Amino acid sequence: MDSRELEITAALAQIDLGEGDLARLGDAVSQMLAYFEKMNALDTEGLEPTTHALVKDNRVRPDTVVPSQLADAMVDQAPEREDRFFVIPNVL
Amino acid sequence: MSAPTGWKQFQNKKETYLPYARTWEKRIGSFLTFRPETSAPADPGTGPLAGLPFGVKDNIAVEGFPLTCGSKMLAEVVSPYDATVVARIKAAGAFVVGKTNLDEFGMGSSTDNSALGKTHNPWDVTRVAGGSSGGSAASVAAGLVPFALGTDTGGSVRQPASFCGVYGFKPTYGVMSRYGLTAYASSLETPGILALDLGLVQSVFQVAQGRDIHDQTSLDPVALDAKPVKKIAVLADLADLDPGVKAVYEQTLEHLKALGYQIVPVTLPTLEYAVPAYYTIATAEASANLARFNGIRYGHRPVYAENHEHLVRQARTAGFGDEVKTRIMVGTYVLRSGFQDQFYTKAQKVRTLIRHDLQKVFDQADLLLSPTFPVPAFVHGDKTMNDFQQKLADKFTVTANLAGVPALSFPAGLVGGLPVGMQFTAPAFGEARLFEAAAAFATRVPVVACPGSSLEWSK
Repeated sequence: MDSRELEITAALAQIDLGEGDLARLGDAVSQMLAYFEKMNALDTEGLEPTTHALVKDNRVRPDTVVPSQLADAMVDQAPEREDRFFVIPNVL
Repeated sequence: MSAPTGWKQFQNKKETYLPYARTWEKRIGSFLTFRPETSAPADPGTGPLAGLPFGVKDNIAVEGFPLTCGSKMLAEVVSPYDATVVARIKAAGAFVVGKTNLDEFGMGSSTDNSALGKTHNPWDVTRVAGGSSGGSAASVAAGLVPFALGTDTGGSVRQPASFCGVYGFKPTYGVMSRYGLTAYASSLETPGILALDLGLVQSVFQVAQGRDIHDQTSLDPVALDAKPVKKIAVLADLADLDPGVKAVYEQTLEHLKALGYQIVPVTLPTLEYAVPAYYTIATAEASANLARFNGIRYGHRPVYAENHEHLVRQARTAGFGDEVKTRIMVGTYVLRSGFQDQFYTKAQKVRTLIRHDLQKVFDQADLLLSPTFPVPAFVHGDKTMNDFQQKLADKFTVTANLAGVPALSFPAGLVGGLPVGMQFTAPAFGEARLFEAAAAFATRVPVVACPGSSLEWSK
């Protein structure tokens, strides 16, 4: 993969790559993608893709209200908050 | 199906346990969090696992314990709830003594990809314990816990079990709930169980299994016919095995023949495509699952950021290690518009072929035998087993994840003082077959405990 493609991919993945990372991780990424090409040797014409291991149908449960006590404990994990709001830098 | 005696009433054993555990733990570093003093309940009750301490891989939620996933990203996170499998095992009377080390987010085969600790193999501390559930395997092998939970996405329970000389069990996909597991590759992964005692693996599986309202893909087990195992399939074209592993494999075949099993040579023409298909699917799912780690609601956050996007990029860049970044980028690439059919859809079709191939094997035989991993435990930093080589070596384990079927790595012998595991794979819901054949094998080749490990503390 050329460095332009790698930079686009890293941007989509929301990861910054420095000069050293570009070379090191770029090689590792390219090596895996090149290896994936091996699958092209296999004829898969007309086969259904497997998207789930065993369960194929959507399952639903009754729409009932059940208590959950987790919300406060979850919010407590926030790196920065005000009351029950997460604080982030200005977006404007 | 009983728990090993001598492990009960942990409360009375603390004085012998603590020095034993600390001495071992200093040598092997199997836990990221270890709290044996404070975690035992006053009354263990009368459940089937009453009073048994256990370890939990640190990507599975345990209330009040950290949930780091071996990552700087989550180093400060504490779980407010129990994973379903943990809750069920606790309800049976066992209690969590600590969280075990792992490759960051389960990505690796050595546990050396952990950002938070180094784990060594109890059989030889210059070597890795395997991965990604390396801490779980090492803690069990050293006798620090009678059993531990791991997760298995492509072999992450079975491979470290093989490296550390313990049983490593991966159930049928869905039979053990994934609620409370930190998602890496959702269509492939499952919790699994590691123990030195096969009966204990079964006891834990018994209480942990079954459908869970919190996991839409969870399933109740289905009883297959109760006919005894007779035919065991083996791969006719095994290649690239370490000579020691090959020797143990051949001895295993002889033992199985002597036990009266009929050996059926088969081929899996798609086996050589299993690893590329597996890594295409696993990285694609990882790139989506790990998108949630952005430093906003929990996890690592930079000291300063100019804006929202800058905050997210900085959090992820500093929070993730190289292997995780590599896999996220590979996964992002294979899902990019224009490349999806070439990689992701192709891999899902190869997955279909692999399932068909395996079905043909199970039309002819009750189980499939193979080595768990082509080599025994390697030394830390071994250049011939770099990150890419480790991936290629997953070929025997990933098939079970791609097909969603159960598999068990069992201790099959020693080579140069290192344990080697072999693996039985069964059709979906064929767990009983795995246990039956492994128990029969153990009557001829009893499990050997790691030198220096001892259950004396529990007597």
